[in-house]
Amino acid sequence: MNSKQIRAGAAAMTGVLLLGACGGGGPGGSGGDFTDGKLVLAILNDQSGIYKDASGPNSVKAVRMAVADYKEKYGDKAVVDDIEVTSTDHQNKPDIANTKAKELYERGGADVILDVPTSSAALAVANQAKSHKKLFLDVSAATTELTGGQCNKYTFQWAYNTYMLANGTGTTVTQNGDKKWHIIYPDYQFGQDMAKSFTEAIKGAGGTVQGTIPTPFPNDNFATFLTKAGSTNPDVIGTMQAGGDLINVVKQFNESGLKDKGINLAVGLMLITDIHSLGVDQFAGTMFTDAWYWNMDAESRGWADRFRDETGTRPTFEHAGNYSAALQYLEAVQEAGTDDADAVVGKLENKKINDVFLRNGEVRAKDHLVVHDAYLARVREPSEVKEPWDYEEIVTTIPAAKAFPPAEASACSM
Amino acid sequence: MNALLQYAVQGLAAGSFYALAALGLAIIFGVLGVVNFAHGAFYMLGAVTAAVLLDTLNLTLWWSLLVVPVLMFAFGVVVERLFVQWLLRLDALYNFLLTFGLTLVLVELVKQKYGVSGLPYKPPKALQGRVDLAGVVLPRYQLFVFLFSVAICVLVWLVMTQTRVGMIVRASTEKPELARALGINVGRWVTPVFGFGVAIAGLAGVLAAPFRAITADMGNNFAIILFAVVVIGGLGSIVGAVVAGFLVGLVEAFGQAYAPTFAQILIFVLMALVILVRPAGLFGRKEATA
Amino acid sequence: MLEVTGLKAWYGEAQALHEVSVRVGEGEVVTLVGRNGAGKTTVVRCLIGLHRQVSGAVSFLGRDVTRMPAHQRARAGMGWVQDDRGIYASLTVEENLLLPPTVSERAWTLKQVYEAFPELAGRRKAGGTTLSGGEQQMLAIARALRTGARLLLMDEPSEGLAPVVVARIREIIRQIKATGAGVLLIEQNVAFAATVADRHYLLSQGRVVETLDNSDFRQREGELLKHLGI
Repeated sequence: MNSKQIRAGAAAMTGVLLLGACGGGGPGGSGGDFTDGKLVLAILNDQSGIYKDASGPNSVKAVRMAVADYKEKYGDKAVVDDIEVTSTDHQNKPDIANTKAKELYERGGADVILDVPTSSAALAVANQAKSHKKLFLDVSAATTELTGGQCNKYTFQWAYNTYMLANGTGTTVTQNGDKKWHIIYPDYQFGQDMAKSFTEAIKGAGGTVQGTIPTPFPNDNFATFLTKAGSTNPDVIGTMQAGGDLINVVKQFNESGLKDKGINLAVGLMLITDIHSLGVDQFAGTMFTDAWYWNMDAESRGWADRFRDETGTRPTFEHAGNYSAALQYLEAVQEAGTDDADAVVGKLENKKINDVFLRNGEVRAKDHLVVHDAYLARVREPSEVKEPWDYEEIVTTIPAAKAFPPAEASACSM
Repeated sequence: MNALLQYAVQGLAAGSFYALAALGLAIIFGVLGVVNFAHGAFYMLGAVTAAVLLDTLNLTLWWSLLVVPVLMFAFGVVVERLFVQWLLRLDALYNFLLTFGLTLVLVELVKQKYGVSGLPYKPPKALQGRVDLAGVVLPRYQLFVFLFSVAICVLVWLVMTQTRVGMIVRASTEKPELARALGINVGRWVTPVFGFGVAIAGLAGVLAAPFRAITADMGNNFAIILFAVVVIGGLGSIVGAVVAGFLVGLVEAFGQAYAPTFAQILIFVLMALVILVRPAGLFGRKEATA
Repeated sequence: MLEVTGLKAWYGEAQALHEVSVRVGEGEVVTLVGRNGAGKTTVVRCLIGLHRQVSGAVSFLGRDVTRMPAHQRARAGMGWVQDDRGIYASLTVEENLLLPPTVSERAWTLKQVYEAFPELAGRRKAGGTTLSGGEQQMLAIARALRTGARLLLMDEPSEGLAPVVVARIREIIRQIKATGAGVLLIEQNVAFAATVADRHYLLSQGRVVETLDNSDFRQREGELLKHLGI
């Protein structure tokens, strides 16, 4: 073996890491009020990569729970008996998401696609939903574009967006006295959206952003980015990283000693799985905005117990969001008596919803953003943790009207 | 000035992981002629093992620095006996397929067992916070990582230059055929050398545990940069691997400081430049490519 | 001590050696002469065990070594002086000397080596390939002697060296012969071969075409030179 072969090998390996595997859709048919006589709920998300734990296979289980609840509620009165739940891996790649969504709508008989984390992937799926005139209820992607400039009649954003995260955390932290910010964000759609949303929220609350640093994604070394951010002596460094990258940032922030200099860390998007994987002590005291927390009241806790029986773990807001999206979709189908997308959209629009996940929820007709109460949370100290996964304390409930951008501000026109 | 020194220490700390892992890679390539594409996975396993030992047996970092390399050595021996030994006389393509396939299997197994969000790890108290060295404030852990890695590199260098084992490894690396014809049973060293290379990659993983997200995927990106390091240093050159490891760490740190978006690309620009100017790498000899 | 009978060798489909038979006795210096590509180096590689695609029989010191791996042959007493001298750049001069294990009670001590090759004594800590070509050749020979090898396989030891160095190598070969060790010498330099060897095998296209004792060899030197195309 010579060095040329090694380089070729290294390049090939890089290629293989960047490429993905493939799968296939199923056959289709037709008949009655329900095309092919059945309803197909297709979950398209990350089944193997960095967002697998946040949503992934357990969201499929959550959707199955919703189907079971629907059947139990309506029994013989259910307008459809045959409900199929399928799951497809998009590996967080927009090109794969695009192909898979096309396959699901055309050959998989999918009536609705659910979940789809990773903003660029979600936008690709929204486009497919539009051209196929089939529903897409997005739960795990955060970009405001989905219900903004790139909105369409068949796409709904169910759980959260970057505005909600930035408005909650950016505004509150600034108002609490940390006025000078330095932001580091991953240099892709989600990160750019977050940096923009945070900057607006911080300025709106009377703070300043001294600098923003785009970082490669994925990345495991943030030490110098943090030092650089810290060198402007901000009150707080805002990190927009997610998943494994977030854990790298927090570990390296804690280790950097910036805390000793009086610099705090604010986290843009955090899921309870991140706290679990890094250890509650590493995050203790961190403020962040959550769309839902499993232990926030008896209703959520009751559902979380059922979820634990199914999966062996506690749900993230994305799991609960998928349950809610699937359940409300089925309710709308029940009401419409058909799986016809336009009819279902008509039933969803302007619907006011209160369920396990959505509190004071409303499906906004103008842009299909589902607004609901959001929560400013604080990570507990290790001593405050009473049981496994008991990591959050809800500090404030941000009412639905304030948690999301006003409808007038939306760039969406359908 | 202060900032520059901080960047330098951060670069050297990041470079420590590359240097250690590349050292193992270079020694394995030298004696076996096998490019171990599974090296990133062994780094990941080192970190995961440390996290599991802390969680289940409450073994702190200090113990893991001792115990994990031993476990990884044993694991390396098993992998060599089961798989790698069959590659030694085959085309490089098989070597790539097997070690890369091994990576996929190991990563997937860890995902199945521990999920993708990662495992918690708490560094010892003594290594937290910062130290003040003549007015320059440096993170304690990064300083430790750098010094510890340099110590390991010096130790390996002493073994390589001062012992008969080292002499045999050098001879087998430079001219394996001649070494056999001179009466050296090169085959006898293949298994322990592979085990050693795996152990040292695992050691890099342990050092990374308090500092990096411990996930099944942590080795993927690492491995890509690692191969840039090996190409820059010169394939099979042990000194080259170490020097290039630290160099790449520095490029990464200063890149992050002054051209954040290009921090990773800069490494590959450096690699391309080295290939153009010195195709055999900074420390590579033409013979080493035979 | 070395008895090669009916040795055939292949590179893939191509047969490189056809029924080569060679014998080296104790205290004997035997040469293989032939043009480039005649198969001389292939014979040596087969004998030391680096070329394995062979048939025929190789017996060394009364043992059948045909299937023996290279490192065991070295330990049985075969010493190889490679055509490119085979000096390690990553080893010092002394490490080059100490690398191969000693194989018999005839092994030289380092002291003996440095007395016989004073130019090496002064450079013992230097990198192996920092030596001049002639010094490297001395080092390669000294390395084989230090192991106490019973048979030296020397591939073109005089190639590219100054006449004064060639003369020294001739002296050394005579000394080795005097100790009772055998030498199989690969040579294109007919004049050099004639001054040291007892017997000559003329190799052409992978076959031994003639076996000559040294007096015949000297008589026909001109004809042989022509044959070798030199």
